Amino acid sequence: MIYLDNAATTLRKPPQVGRAMVRALTSCANPGRGGHAAAARAEALVYGVRAQAAAYFGCGPEEIVFTANATEGLNIALGSLVQAGDRVVISGLEHNAVTRPLAALGADVIRVRAPLFDQAAWLEAFDRALGPETAACVCTQVSNVFGAILPVEALGALCAQRGIPLVVDASQAAGLLPVRPTRWGAAFTAMPGHKGLLGPQGTGILICRAPAKPLRYGGTGTQSALAAMPQELPERLEAGTLNVPGIAGLGAGLAYLQGLDQAQVLAGERALLRHGAQGLQALGARCFTGPNQAGVLSFLLPGLDCEEAAGAYSRGGIALRAGLHCAPEAHRSAGTFPEGTLRLSLSPFSTRRDIEALLQATRGMLGGKSQGITRR
Amino acid sequence: MYDIYLTLRSVTRGQGGKRALDRAGIPNALLRAPRQIAPQGCAYALSLRRRDLDRARALLDRAAVEVEGVYARDPQGSFGRLWP
Repeated sequence: MIYLDNAATTLRKPPQVGRAMVRALTSCANPGRGGHAAAARAEALVYGVRAQAAAYFGCGPEEIVFTANATEGLNIALGSLVQAGDRVVISGLEHNAVTRPLAALGADVIRVRAPLFDQAAWLEAFDRALGPETAACVCTQVSNVFGAILPVEALGALCAQRGIPLVVDASQAAGLLPVRPTRWGAAFTAMPGHKGLLGPQGTGILICRAPAKPLRYGGTGTQSALAAMPQELPERLEAGTLNVPGIAGLGAGLAYLQGLDQAQVLAGERALLRHGAQGLQALGARCFTGPNQAGVLSFLLPGLDCEEAAGAYSRGGIALRAGLHCAPEAHRSAGTFPEGTLRLSLSPFSTRRDIEALLQATRGMLGGKSQGITRR
Repeated sequence: MYDIYLTLRSVTRGQGGKRALDRAGIPNALLRAPRQIAPQGCAYALSLRRRDLDRARALLDRAAVEVEGVYARDPQGSFGRLWP
């Protein structure tokens, strides 16, 4: 299979990820729940990955909170900062992992829109929207639909000047671009472990640099006589048994990434995206490309329904995603709502041959060689 | 024999503290704190030799590992609080 759906999850993992998971599964007990050797092994493993992630992201180990996914991290962040009626400024590229919690919290949401790949315009739009009544600002670092990179560092400075807590969704950026919450002054930064960080599904990280409210309440293995959750991070936000095999796999994924030259990976992926976009455009596709783009390319094929086109690619052994990509706001911003787009997304394992295969399949599809596709 | 116990409020702090002491070559053990020195229920403690205490405290301070209490254990197994 040609796998080009890495923005959903990276299917190909370094082999050491699986090995680390099996080792943890067969040797680690419940961290914080016993004084025996198997519990101590689990504690050391979990702390080791926490410290490794802290070094990778330039923060303290206690600021690294393990979650089940980015969505859980964003729910913790928003639940900590936002109450009903609070004004929250978000980019018009946010995922439902941001917009749905805000709707559930009853927030007054202001959506900022700007041309997809124009960072200066995004910053100006945020500048206009962030007012004294703003309770929080939420911004994705990279759009999961269009790969547009937003200026989170400059936005962090803007928020800091105005005393507004910033939440960054680093779901598509982590592993590909520098994620530096301490430098940005971000209150919370959420990411999955199973995408660019190359860990297994069911893992995520929330970098927590502000007072936080737990999403789950329960056992932490410490201060057990107290009815309330401990104040200390990360335990405050990690009630219940941790996903130790998953965390072990995440650590192996991180270690693999730490052995790569991140700038080189980014440059390689950008070259593949350019090649893909040029090839698709030559075939008549509409591609969403720009200067500040990473990892993801959305496109539309002339006259074809994108879900049906994705089905045809799949029958040809090519995996990519179609539709709204859980981010209807992004499509409203780009004018592709409600049809959505086709999306190809890369990983460090993607190759030029993958893109060539996609182009060849597209040629066949547009030349009418695929069966059962409805023309729009 | 380790006779000094430094209690910590979380396993993460315990692990962070253990790493700091290990790196400095201070012999220690991270263990579940005996009930007598864990008034809020389950806790962790770093145990070490009395002669390493001052150096260990300084190292833990530098590593931002907050110590909740310092206890000495006598040969009969009872704890006496040294700090706070």
